[in-house]
Amino acid sequence: MGKSFLKNHPTMLVFLALLALFTLAITVFSEAYGSGLVSTSFVKTLGKTLCLCLVAIAMDVIWGYAGILSLGHFAFFGLGGYMIGMWLMYERTKEVVLRSLENQTIPPTETEISDAIATQIFGVVGSSDFPLIWSFAHSLTLQLILVVAVPGILALIFGWLAFRSRVTGVYLSILTQAMTLALALYLFQNDSGLRGNNGLSGLQNLPHVTAPQSEISMWFLWASAAALGFGYVFFTMMLSGKFGMVVKGIRDNEQRVRFLGYEVEHYKLFLFTVTAIVAAVAGALYYPQAGIINPAEIMPIASIYLAVWVAIGGRGRLYGAVIGAAFVSLLSTWFTGGQAPDIPLGFYTISWVDWWQVLLGVSFVLVTLYAPKGIGGLFDLLKRKEVQK
Amino acid sequence: MSTLLEVSGVSVSFDGFKAINNLSFQIGKAELRAVIGPNGAGKTTFMDIITGKTKPDEGRVIWGDRSISLLGMSEAKIAQEGVCRKFQKPTVFEDQSVRDNLMMALKRGRSVWDVLKYRPGADNARLEQLADEIGLLSEFSRPSGELSHGQKQWLEIGMLLAQDPQLLLVDEPAAGMTPAEREHTTNLLVEAAKTRAVVVVEHDMEFIRRLNCKVTVLHEGSVLAEGSLDHVTSNQEVIDVYLGR
Repeated sequence: MGKSFLKNHPTMLVFLALLALFTLAITVFSEAYGSGLVSTSFVKTLGKTLCLCLVAIAMDVIWGYAGILSLGHFAFFGLGGYMIGMWLMYERTKEVVLRSLENQTIPPTETEISDAIATQIFGVVGSSDFPLIWSFAHSLTLQLILVVAVPGILALIFGWLAFRSRVTGVYLSILTQAMTLALALYLFQNDSGLRGNNGLSGLQNLPHVTAPQSEISMWFLWASAAALGFGYVFFTMMLSGKFGMVVKGIRDNEQRVRFLGYEVEHYKLFLFTVTAIVAAVAGALYYPQAGIINPAEIMPIASIYLAVWVAIGGRGRLYGAVIGAAFVSLLSTWFTGGQAPDIPLGFYTISWVDWWQVLLGVSFVLVTLYAPKGIGGLFDLLKRKEVQK
Repeated sequence: MSTLLEVSGVSVSFDGFKAINNLSFQIGKAELRAVIGPNGAGKTTFMDIITGKTKPDEGRVIWGDRSISLLGMSEAKIAQEGVCRKFQKPTVFEDQSVRDNLMMALKRGRSVWDVLKYRPGADNARLEQLADEIGLLSEFSRPSGELSHGQKQWLEIGMLLAQDPQLLLVDEPAAGMTPAEREHTTNLLVEAAKTRAVVVVEHDMEFIRRLNCKVTVLHEGSVLAEGSLDHVTSNQEVIDVYLGR
């Protein structure tokens, strides 16, 4: 990374500085390492928000830059969460099982331990055997590889089929939505091997770690901030040169790019897969902070929210996606957490827990109609004013 | 003169309508050719077939010294082979600068990997030279969306030249241009045809006269006449279907 690269991307420097400052501030005010002004549960909320910002920039790259409105990227996010969740749950349950068997006079056999873990995990769906897909759950390394590999390969196969047939525009959006819906419905089944609608739970407990949640939550916040920083720099570098030009060209006039000799499908497939992998990494960091993952997380509505965040924040600029995701998801937490004061109208009381979604929907429509550049567009206005002065 | 492109016996129909009917066409390696014909004669479909956008029902399209078939190749592969196309409406990437448009067109590796590791520094001189050729050096860093209609046309021609193609397909290059701009365009095309094949589709007879080249008249999807402009304009059939109206 040369000096000129940094100089040419002042917003990236500002972003990284703000992210570092934010992380430092939360650390200083945290319960674990600081004054305790910021509660552990709020640290978790912020850590999760950073992960949502990361998946939002992936969404911005595929939609804002390449013009592919994927309504399925949350499927990759969820799959990342499931993959890390399998190891967390296996290892944690094993720990508990071993402790409970400690006092037995006859030491338990491997099979007995394995059966006990399986019963613990799968009893809830009426099974006591490990499904095949849990073969690697004992190994953190292998599951970490799967975090990247499973969503990556799914994106590759799905993308290859869709782009090769030149499915574009709204049809592609529908197709991606069908993909995430199908995946969610499959995972809802009890015999899918991932505990059906119960999902994977207790993910906030790290195996072999005795530190309190207040500390663990800080570790995840740091990891999430680092991942967001890396993701931001990675995409900025990728899109800054000729590759970014071609990608924007594909968004603006796909056919023209093709006649220039670029295999448009290869570019789309590459971006679809890379953004899916970044989404999966974000998910793998998110769900240990959330503590639970179930198939409802990857229903199409989640991916639609993702698009709404990016639209509200401002498409085609990475910081716009970050602003959108952070702003809307934190606001959503505030409104749905019951903290927002209800508005009594006499004949009817507006309760924000119910009406927040309406507000969000209306603001999405308004942004699309009147401020297509989203919140990020405000920065353009400021810049223009400065130039005029 | 050896043949660069040979189209023989090509037909294509859309929903029963025969857009191209047993069309044959040849062009040499350094030749300028004008293609004229009334609306619906199949001029654009003809270009679509050569560039791979439309697959013909029958016929052959043979290309280059190695006599390979262009049928069944993707648009991008055909473009990489050296067939480049300029559309009727100027289509440049409006969000991006003149320099970026030319850089994308410049003949360099087209794969994802090539493009990701591309470093622009080495090509700056070449890009400036290209911009100079098309008279846009002073607009080098401007977003191309801010250019005038004629300037966009030139930029697109510049993008074609940047690709260093063997065959240039140009659809109505003079549409909407001022007389001065037309002259500039004519010069660019005549200059280009010294080293490569150029096919110009045009309605404007005056423009074609200036090009001073062989003319192919299309009608109802096949070749009606071919020869010098004076030769085809004195052909009774051509007068009936095209000029006489």
